[in-house]
Amino acid sequence: MTSREKILNSIASNKPALTTLPNVPIFEGDGSIERFKTVLEGIGGRVIEVASKADCQAAIDKYYSDLKNVASDIVKANVAVNLDTTKEILEQVDLAVIQGEIGVAENGTIWVPEINMLNRALPFITQHLVLVLDKNNIVANMQQAYNKLENVGSYGVFIAGPSKTADIEQSLVIGAHGARSMMVLIY
Amino acid sequence: MNHQNHPELAEAFNKDFERTTWHDETLWFVRQKRDKAVYPIPEFQDLRTLASEIKDHTLSNLDNYLIEFEQNAIKNGVKVHWAADAAEHNQIVMDIIKSSCKVEGRNTRMVKSKSMLTEECHLNAFLQKNNIDVVDTDLGERIIQFRDEPPSHIVMPAIHLKKEDVGETFHEHLGTTKGEKDPQILTEAARQHLREKFVAADVALTGVNFAIAETGSFVVCTNEGNADLGVNLAKVHIASMGIEKMIPKLHHLSVYTRLLARSATGQPITTYTSHFTKPAEGKEMHIVIVDNGRTQQLGRADFRNSLKCIRCGACMNTCPVYRRSGGHSYDFTVPGPIGAILSPNIDLHKYSSLPFASTLCGSCSDVCPVKIDIHVQLYKWRQIVGQANELPAAKKWGMKGLAKVLSMPKVYDLGGKLARGALRVLPHGLTHNQSMNPWAKARELPDAPKQSFKEWYEENRK
Repeated sequence: MTSREKILNSIASNKPALTTLPNVPIFEGDGSIERFKTVLEGIGGRVIEVASKADCQAAIDKYYSDLKNVASDIVKANVAVNLDTTKEILEQVDLAVIQGEIGVAENGTIWVPEINMLNRALPFITQHLVLVLDKNNIVANMQQAYNKLENVGSYGVFIAGPSKTADIEQSLVIGAHGARSMMVLIY
Repeated sequence: MNHQNHPELAEAFNKDFERTTWHDETLWFVRQKRDKAVYPIPEFQDLRTLASEIKDHTLSNLDNYLIEFEQNAIKNGVKVHWAADAAEHNQIVMDIIKSSCKVEGRNTRMVKSKSMLTEECHLNAFLQKNNIDVVDTDLGERIIQFRDEPPSHIVMPAIHLKKEDVGETFHEHLGTTKGEKDPQILTEAARQHLREKFVAADVALTGVNFAIAETGSFVVCTNEGNADLGVNLAKVHIASMGIEKMIPKLHHLSVYTRLLARSATGQPITTYTSHFTKPAEGKEMHIVIVDNGRTQQLGRADFRNSLKCIRCGACMNTCPVYRRSGGHSYDFTVPGPIGAILSPNIDLHKYSSLPFASTLCGSCSDVCPVKIDIHVQLYKWRQIVGQANELPAAKKWGMKGLAKVLSMPKVYDLGGKLARGALRVLPHGLTHNQSMNPWAKARELPDAPKQSFKEWYEENRK
């Protein structure tokens, strides 16, 4: 008998009588930009409202003029990143500007599917991360977010703020392994 | 060496009074953060009920969900492996590395993000014996890996250490300045050190927080981004999961993602909630599904719902015994109240003291996001430990003696009278002798009353 059969047989003989699966309601809640902003800033992110998607460039010029290597398909970039980009090049990226799809006001998280990432490693290896988000795509909570999400694709991540750790004496440090800062441009 | 039980290890931890107090307060602070994060969610209690019922249902149909998950994962191009126990899990991981990560003239390099299952299987030691360089990349895990210690908490693995300890460890292993203890500077040193490891890795291993039957996907939650950084740079991704990580549908994640981080650290959500479904072009993804005692626990009607645990650690942060005895005093992969109900299933003899590491106050059950009746199970394990003759002699004979006395009212009355008299006349050094009366170790007995309640009642009832 294979381990697969052994495990499945053992479950079949040990599991309790079938119980019903509850329905998960789509809870209502405050899906405002204000709440999204308050929560995300509370966990170390920054939120800037811009008039239109085209104005993202001006915001990047204003806030990140000191950063050299930029990867993006939304604003001007000088590092070309695609699926085949090597680790050595990815390591040099200072700023990645990527499209986010759904924002969640209750926890400040943003859905980023693989297709928007240019390369799966980019949102994590970049020193600083900017996500661009349509204000009409902000929902109140995770029930509404998963309801809006038709499928998760091959790979996708909810990202909430910059990389952080509190593993040394519970002292919060921003910039553990991933992005040292995270900004959301809402249009 | 004899295995030390919880009271012995807890006593050793308590020798450093200041550190014990600090540990207690630090974890209580995390518990308070949890409360602040939970109270503003109006439907939080509804979410707990849903989380509990979804897991109940999943356990009642677990074989079918695992099969559905396997079929979908295979369709996604993921390789699925099954391991009955720890040894088989470790061998599978080794075989994957051998066949998929061939390197010449050096050891294969693995980066790992947090996985309590691989701790349970003692994977690191096994791989290192087989010439695989394993680097734990979660900051807390890296710290304890340098120190060759097990984690003392499932979410905060190095919570037993102070920044001075970490500074000393990093000075030794990463060459930071001696005496440097600023968490910001120490974290930056670890970032630089681990970035090199991420880029150089051949294979990345992660745990699994949730596995979704409907899509064959699995979800990994981190704050540091170490899981994503590792797997997205390496050629091969291995994910180790216990069979109990299943949930039926994608949208069920909406319940658990609202509960996990709020319960664990008081954050609204973890920084990264990563959904892995298909490997990237040209890369490999493997899932190892592990039993290692879980199906046995599923067969124990009184204890099976311990398998609903989502490993948030809230029960540890709130537990007055855990906070004052430290995670290492449990000497089990998962410490605290949840560990005390999981461990006797694995080895009743070795872990017979753990169900007693509790005041049965019930705070663990109150904060559990999936409503496991932890304190009830602790109480039930005590009965089993007693029946299996695993109680320490003093407790066993003490209980037997007390049961006798309580069943004979005359003897009880006489005993009370003698004790009241004795407490008044005997010297403090004798009544509070710590080897004869361990109760008095940190406590004072109240003054003995002149009469018992029964005597007072007889006198005053008219």
